[in-house]
Amino acid sequence: MFNNQQIMDLPKHSDISFKPLADKALLHAQLSSLLFYIPLIGALIAVCYFNEAFANNAQTYLLIGMPILVAVSMLYNMISVRLRGFAVRNHDIAFKKGVIWQQVTVLPLARVQHMEIHQGPIERKLSLASIKLFSAGGVSADLQISGLTHDDCKNMRQFVQNYRQDDTTPQATLVDE
Amino acid sequence: MSNTTIEDQVSPIYWQKVSPWALLYFVVHFSVRFVKDGLLNLLPMFVVFVTQVENKLFWAQVAGGIALVLLFVYSFLYYLNFKFCISSDNEILLNKGVFKKERLTLKFGRVQNVNIAEPFYFTPVNLVNCIFDAAGSVSQEVVLPGVTKDYAQQMRKQIFDFKAQQQEEIQNTEQSETDTIENKLSISNKEIAKFGLMSNMAILAIAALAPFINLIVDFLEKQIITKVEGFYQQELGMLASAATFAMITLIILLVLAAVMLSVTMSLIRFYNFELYFKGQKFKRIAGLLERHQLSMSMDKVQSIVIKQNLMGRLLKRFTVECLQASSGGIAAGAAAKKNKQTLVLPVLNSEQVDSVCQWIYPWFNSKKLAFKRAERALLYKNLGFYSLLPSALVFGFCFIADINTLISLGVLVVFSGLVTLSYQRCGYYMHEDNGRFYMVVRKGMIGVHYRVFELYKAQSARSISTYLMRKSGLKSLYIQLASGFAFMPYIKQQDADFIIDFTIKQIESDTRSWM
Repeated sequence: MFNNQQIMDLPKHSDISFKPLADKALLHAQLSSLLFYIPLIGALIAVCYFNEAFANNAQTYLLIGMPILVAVSMLYNMISVRLRGFAVRNHDIAFKKGVIWQQVTVLPLARVQHMEIHQGPIERKLSLASIKLFSAGGVSADLQISGLTHDDCKNMRQFVQNYRQDDTTPQATLVDE
Repeated sequence: MSNTTIEDQVSPIYWQKVSPWALLYFVVHFSVRFVKDGLLNLLPMFVVFVTQVENKLFWAQVAGGIALVLLFVYSFLYYLNFKFCISSDNEILLNKGVFKKERLTLKFGRVQNVNIAEPFYFTPVNLVNCIFDAAGSVSQEVVLPGVTKDYAQQMRKQIFDFKAQQQEEIQNTEQSETDTIENKLSISNKEIAKFGLMSNMAILAIAALAPFINLIVDFLEKQIITKVEGFYQQELGMLASAATFAMITLIILLVLAAVMLSVTMSLIRFYNFELYFKGQKFKRIAGLLERHQLSMSMDKVQSIVIKQNLMGRLLKRFTVECLQASSGGIAAGAAAKKNKQTLVLPVLNSEQVDSVCQWIYPWFNSKKLAFKRAERALLYKNLGFYSLLPSALVFGFCFIADINTLISLGVLVVFSGLVTLSYQRCGYYMHEDNGRFYMVVRKGMIGVHYRVFELYKAQSARSISTYLMRKSGLKSLYIQLASGFAFMPYIKQQDADFIIDFTIKQIESDTRSWM
């Protein structure tokens, strides 16, 4: 039978101090949201312009609803980016995210199968990038961290590539990182 | 297999060709691939053919003849270019392709299994297909068709010996292998037929017919329903309800046909099922048209699933699956199953489940394990979302539509019952056995589903919590495995944190190979 005794030197993921995302991560999130809402608003304006019946019925609701939706979305982005954080430890990478459902994922480096670094047009302009870390068996990437600086992403990739499981360092020190 | 060796001009390695009988395999293989992948692409051409061409029979014969000749020529050229060799670096090298020449290199260390398949067309000449499974990747699979059984077994031995040398641990296992007794399990074909009733193969068969549903319905209406209706009218004099009876008869016949199809498919797949377990290795032989031999080392098994669905519960039977790594995603998982990388023990009664579990995990006994349940907050949440809310909606609908509102009470009772059953099934259990740590996660509603895995094989761990859960000191736990995942909702925060930390420590400190 399994014995759930207190193990003193067990590194606790709840003690990890997470590093916030890059400064421009919030700007990136807001711009990405706007990139979704602006064409949507444009399309709705076009529909109202060409379809008078629709305009008469929906114009008022849209005029009130759309700004609220955009404002809520912006506010959500602010909270979401603030709640995100990552930590690279000697043997794993931890990432926390989520506003309503808060998640903390710990991915051991020994289980990383491959990595991808993505840079969209907005990310390139802001010198940001996203990194995806894949392990075996997952539906998609186990960890997807967007809003990092491109240099951070490259460093992280290098760190994961250089990792060897037998490079053991005292586990207790990991917690303090 | 022909033993003629062709010396390569560039390297001193010796290329071998497979037996000329392998041509049969290539013809069958490319025919199947054509039907699976190419037929849909030819659909526009088929439509043009049906609507525009006049002398259909003649041109169909011409097209069929040309396709057949092309198939044989392509298969022959493929056979000519198909060469393999076992290099001194312990790799299988394979040269193949007609238009696009490929060289495939598969290191012995990456081979997960060496399977031997005996297709029916090779039976008279005593040849087999030797299949090398690489870790989770279908494209990396190497098949040597038309080799002798001895050669295939020798290959298997060579690869397993190499892998055994690589890992000292496996060497120890090999040592103990000679001392252990071989366990055997046979499943009768009558039992296999029950798997047809339990599995969803019939649904899959019906789903495959979905694109042709209009044609089928038209055909059934014209050919069968009118005749059955006429029969009821003439023979039984049921003028008023003949159409209804005809429809019911048809539905019953369709269900029976689907069940029969499912049973047949099960028998084709698992006919004369034999399972051997010796020295931490499974060997399974089964199949009607193709006797497929699958070998699997327990080291490669990522998790074991023991499940019983509604039909299984009625028949008192379980299905056990030993899952290997899938390289990612549902598609890869399905491919791994299709690729026969999953060892399925289709129908076992509870005694057989216990005895198989005794071979693998002597500590495992589903009836005696003290599972730790989810907290009651999960029950209250699920009752609210999946029982109260739907019944309130039904009540509202009944009220508006002026239907008896007692229906909503029925919905409440039934849904509450199901939610409670689901809550009661939900549980986890952790076990330590000879310094190895295991976790069992149980879920289900009417049936039951256990997933057993060794903690160090996990890929990543995650905790999930909402504001209310954090207030109540609760968290949900998600452990990603190389074959599926384990999810345990609403457990105490300190337990979830401990399991995550402990799992991560196991992964990071255990130097054993996980795949």
